[in-house]
Amino acid sequence: MALLELPAWTTLAPALLLALTALVLFIIDSISPDAQNSGLLAGTTAAGSLASLGVAVWYLLAGVGTPTVDGGRGIIDVLGDQFVVDQLALFFMIIVAVVTALVAVASYDYMEDHTYQAEYYSLVLLAATGMSFMAAANSLVTIFIALELASLPSYALVSILKDNRGSVEGGLKYFLIGALSSAIFVYGISLVYGATGHLQLENIAAVIEAGEADPYGGLLGLGILMLIGGFAFKTASVPFHFWAPEAYEGAPAPISAFLSSASKAAGFVIAFRVFTEAFPVAETASAIGVDWTLAFIILAIVTMTLGNFAAATQNNVKRMLAYSSIGHAGYALIGLAGISAGGGELVMGAAMMHLFVYGFMNTGAFLFVALAEYWGVGRTFEDYNGLGRRAPVACFALAIFMFSLAGIPPLGGFWSKYFLFTGALEAGLIVVAAALVINSALSLYYYSRLVKAVWIEEPVTERDGLSQPVGLYAAIVVAAVMTLALLPLFGPVADTAVDAATAMLA
Amino acid sequence: MCMRFKLPNVTEMNDWIAIGALALVGVLIPLGMMAVSYLLRPSVPETSKRATYESGEIPTGDTRVRFNIQYYMVALLFLIFDIETVLLFPWAVVYLDAVESDAVSLLEILGPMVLFVTILLVGLAWAWRKGAVQWAQTPRQVETEHNRP
Amino acid sequence: MEDVFNYAPAIALFPLVAFVVALTFGKYMPKKGALAGIIATGGSLALSVLMLVAVASGEVYHETLYQWAIGDAASEIGADGIEFTFGILIDPLAALMLVIVSLIAFLVHIFSLGYMNAEGETGLPRYYASLGLFTFSMLAFVYADNLLMAFMFFELVGLCSYLLIGFWFRTRSAPSAAKKAFLVTRFGDYFFLLGVVAIAATFGTVAFAGDNSFVAAAESAIDNGDTLFGFGAETWVTITALLVLGGVIGKSAQFPLHTWLPDAMEGPTTVSALIHAATMVAAGVYLVARMFGYYALSPTALAIIAFVGGFTALFAATMGVVKDDIKQVLAYSTISQYGYMMLGLGVGGYVAGVFHLMNHAFFKALLFLGAGAVIVLMHHEQDMWKMGGLKDKAPITYYTFLAGALALAGIIPFSGFWSKDEILYDALIVGLEEPVILAAYAMALVAVFFTGFYTFRMVFLTFHGEPRSEAAEDPHDIGWSIKAPLVVLGVLALVAGIANLAPVAKLAHIDITFLEHWLDGEYGAVEGLTYSAYGELLAFETAYIGGEQLTVLIAAGVSLLLAFSGAGLAWKLYSVPEPVAHKERLGGARQTLESNYYQDEYQVWLAEGFTQPLARAADRFDQTVIDGVVNSVSTASLFSSSRLKRIQTGLVTNYAALLVAGFIGLLLVLGYVGGWFL
Repeated sequence: MALLELPAWTTLAPALLLALTALVLFIIDSISPDAQNSGLLAGTTAAGSLASLGVAVWYLLAGVGTPTVDGGRGIIDVLGDQFVVDQLALFFMIIVAVVTALVAVASYDYMEDHTYQAEYYSLVLLAATGMSFMAAANSLVTIFIALELASLPSYALVSILKDNRGSVEGGLKYFLIGALSSAIFVYGISLVYGATGHLQLENIAAVIEAGEADPYGGLLGLGILMLIGGFAFKTASVPFHFWAPEAYEGAPAPISAFLSSASKAAGFVIAFRVFTEAFPVAETASAIGVDWTLAFIILAIVTMTLGNFAAATQNNVKRMLAYSSIGHAGYALIGLAGISAGGGELVMGAAMMHLFVYGFMNTGAFLFVALAEYWGVGRTFEDYNGLGRRAPVACFALAIFMFSLAGIPPLGGFWSKYFLFTGALEAGLIVVAAALVINSALSLYYYSRLVKAVWIEEPVTERDGLSQPVGLYAAIVVAAVMTLALLPLFGPVADTAVDAATAMLA
Repeated sequence: MCMRFKLPNVTEMNDWIAIGALALVGVLIPLGMMAVSYLLRPSVPETSKRATYESGEIPTGDTRVRFNIQYYMVALLFLIFDIETVLLFPWAVVYLDAVESDAVSLLEILGPMVLFVTILLVGLAWAWRKGAVQWAQTPRQVETEHNRP
Repeated sequence: MEDVFNYAPAIALFPLVAFVVALTFGKYMPKKGALAGIIATGGSLALSVLMLVAVASGEVYHETLYQWAIGDAASEIGADGIEFTFGILIDPLAALMLVIVSLIAFLVHIFSLGYMNAEGETGLPRYYASLGLFTFSMLAFVYADNLLMAFMFFELVGLCSYLLIGFWFRTRSAPSAAKKAFLVTRFGDYFFLLGVVAIAATFGTVAFAGDNSFVAAAESAIDNGDTLFGFGAETWVTITALLVLGGVIGKSAQFPLHTWLPDAMEGPTTVSALIHAATMVAAGVYLVARMFGYYALSPTALAIIAFVGGFTALFAATMGVVKDDIKQVLAYSTISQYGYMMLGLGVGGYVAGVFHLMNHAFFKALLFLGAGAVIVLMHHEQDMWKMGGLKDKAPITYYTFLAGALALAGIIPFSGFWSKDEILYDALIVGLEEPVILAAYAMALVAVFFTGFYTFRMVFLTFHGEPRSEAAEDPHDIGWSIKAPLVVLGVLALVAGIANLAPVAKLAHIDITFLEHWLDGEYGAVEGLTYSAYGELLAFETAYIGGEQLTVLIAAGVSLLLAFSGAGLAWKLYSVPEPVAHKERLGGARQTLESNYYQDEYQVWLAEGFTQPLARAADRFDQTVIDGVVNSVSTASLFSSSRLKRIQTGLVTNYAALLVAGFIGLLLVLGYVGGWFL
């Protein structure tokens, strides 16, 4: 392999390919602005994201980003340390690319008769570019720019159904809360810069380790807390979650899948990177007087509890999934809550595994909602009654997604949750572990409710045969197969995740 | 609520006092002038005084006016090229020095900027093709134009 | 010879294959699976004999075949971890038992040809499949090398007996009897399981033999004076040994868990023969013999075994005298005889107990198969009062049955005499020092009289006198497949005593106690599992009445005298052309005896009067308190959920306010903890 001969910037190829595909889409649309060639557009998008996925997987397998001591090619710095390509970055680039590909394929049917298709696909790709860059960003400036690059297209995507009140309302709320959160985030960046004099993550850590930030402990602490606010917005964690239910509900279902899976994962990757690279636990605690993990412990418990409890009595399926998505953000937050001075690889790795599995099962679940919207069967649990007889394949896949989300063994969702649980116990977070168990138990209630509606309940009204859109079906089946395939594949995924976490915490 | 900023010595403290005093003076002077004028001026209440422009235009309609969306389109396009200029300018300043230096090749100097401009050009071309620079094209107008014989 | 042992797994696997074959292809086979069973058990028998020869040539086999779980919990005595395995242990005891079991199973299969096939029964594939599984379970149980494996196959044996007792499941009584057998033995097995867990948790091993066996561990724990789970080591060993004994009492039908066995006569007579002679019931006593080293460590447990055995021997024998059904009499005789074996083992007479187990297997199989032959002769009539006069019409059946009866009654020189006498002798010499054992001995001695009586009452009523029914006058034909097993077993019932002529040896000072040498490992043995090794562990003192030889004579003389007087009384009462019932002479005792001492009644009362209200109370607790808590948790969750939903008002300004409020709340908490506001 001639990787080493390539310039360092090529390691950002997964993100650059997404950007390039977006430009290609613009060119296609410029050539024939009035043609609605949805097959070409969706195909190009899927091809681009699959190329990004392929390159990222290839890099990971080839050892790009793996520390040289572990037999890899070393962590690669790009553009004067503004970006870094390591296992963590590649892992999340893979998640983003996979979700983008699934969403693109599913959108082929969902957006079939839509006016702004080229815009839609290019916005998806630009947002994915931002998320991919978020995975690799290594300085607060690039993080912020990548975050905005991911956010701005997302606002537009949520409200792309211009004639749908819910879509426009959700988009506006998303934008307003996003603006507020971005303001808080960028203010946090300025405070951290004020306290340490640096924006690049390693340099911030060096200053804190040298004790030079100690005089500005409160300032630094406030800055860190504001950064947490920014991440909480991106990951839809309490109290920055308010946009999520309405945005997910109003957005086109593929976009809900995209936001709740890829965007959430991207939010987590910057949180992982910033808090492990820039704010080493022990030194930061001595500077600001408190462990920042405390904030994540509180956020994790509150987020998973609020998400699951609010989801329990929803009547609208998409809204239930939106709240469940908030609950899962709470689970993944355990990965940050469990980090400690000497450890936390396992729990952080577990959070990464969970986000990986979640990328399939949650995307699949939202895509099923997309399918239901495509059929026009309705939005509530009752409307879904008896779909199992009409569309057994898709409903079987739905059952897989639901049980995996609930964490039923032996599905993928069980294993990641199990690792989170053991990781939390290992870190001594008994309350968090207990909250995880209680919330999982509660979540089984509303997940199985949907399965029951689809398979057991009698349909309220007689409906004719349902069509079988190729793209949506393909995406759902692939997501279901991957959720199942993670049984045998879980070993490698877990190893990669824990390796990446170990490298970050080393 | 006040932040705990550990302050190393007393001399720096004096600077802060000076700034505080300046701020205080800055606030007090206008307030004082307003207070004095309030005390000195005669009070003659009259309805015409409540008009927005007491001695000029008679306002019509609401203060909230809907601007045509095309203004925003133009503003956005302008902003893009504005930023492009901002980035081009420093690049142009160091360009000659860079060409003369042996440390970087011409490709490395030219490449990024060409790429940047290309991206913008693609965007502009797309916007053009999509009709973003055409003025006042509401759907109704477009329709009538199409129907014109 | 060592290579022979490589075939050891096949001994058990042959019948398993027969089970599968009979179950899947039985319908299409000429004899409905019988041939598969005969070939398989024949193979098992041949291999078992090979094993016996191999052991005789001084080899033993102890091999772990498969390890299916490893635990890493430290046990009470400090051993790290525990391994659960399947393994085979073939020592003199196991080899002997393998031969007995496979022989009986083989003969029962052959007999079934005449008893089941010739009689046109339906469901034969099921019958032979169950028989195969039964044999497989018992054989695997016999050579199990650890307690847990033994437990598993012990349970499987119980399951098979359930299937076979309930073979005629369309009748009312058979399923009920099967259920009863299953439940009563399972009640005992609960204690067994507890015992297995307790032993595993205490010693970290469940192996029977070797340095890592729980027997060795228990011995060293007692020697070291360890405290186990708050008890002294010996007390704890006694407790665990008694827990295991629970399973033994259930399976071997000892008082008070014997009630299932008479009902089990609902199964086909062949099955009764197998259950009583070699498999189910024998499993209990065999287990005591298998882990005799463990019981030897606890004199208390042994004394309890001896006393229960002695009591059961008498208790069951008295019930046997009033039964009219030929199979019922045999059923009570089985309970009684196993009581003898328990007594023998309980007083430390390991050889005597095993000897009686062997002899009993032969003569009880013989008697049951003989009874089966009689039932065939009598066109499926089982009431002895309707028989009579079969002596001349079925001489082979008569003489073989008589041989079995003489052995059962303990008449010299039939096999039963030698082993029963040895048990009584062992009990006597220990009893002279231990009052409890003496009481057990006395009861067993009295039982000898009753045994003689009911045995010959049965013989006379069945075979002597005039025929008392049409069926008896014109008996059904029986074929070779019925006669052949009877002859084989009849010969064995007569001569099997030669294996250990202990009284003769003691009186004449000649070395003819072969079985004792065999079990003492003079040919080949696993270390620690020999008669002399057990003898060293035993804490019983022995005494003699005026010297060993005199004691032998007294013991043998008294038991013979009692047996003869019992038989004589039966001869006087029933060996007449027209015998009549003499139950009226028993007076008040008659009702008690015919009702089996009201054992069933009090056990039913226990279930209905005590357990059921308790279960109802538990159910109510479960329904109200437990379910109530669960339901209220879910109600509370859903209620709080509906409240929590309302935070999402839909107004973006509220969101912004709540967001900032939440952020400030977090800031206050962290700032307070971090001391930022000082």
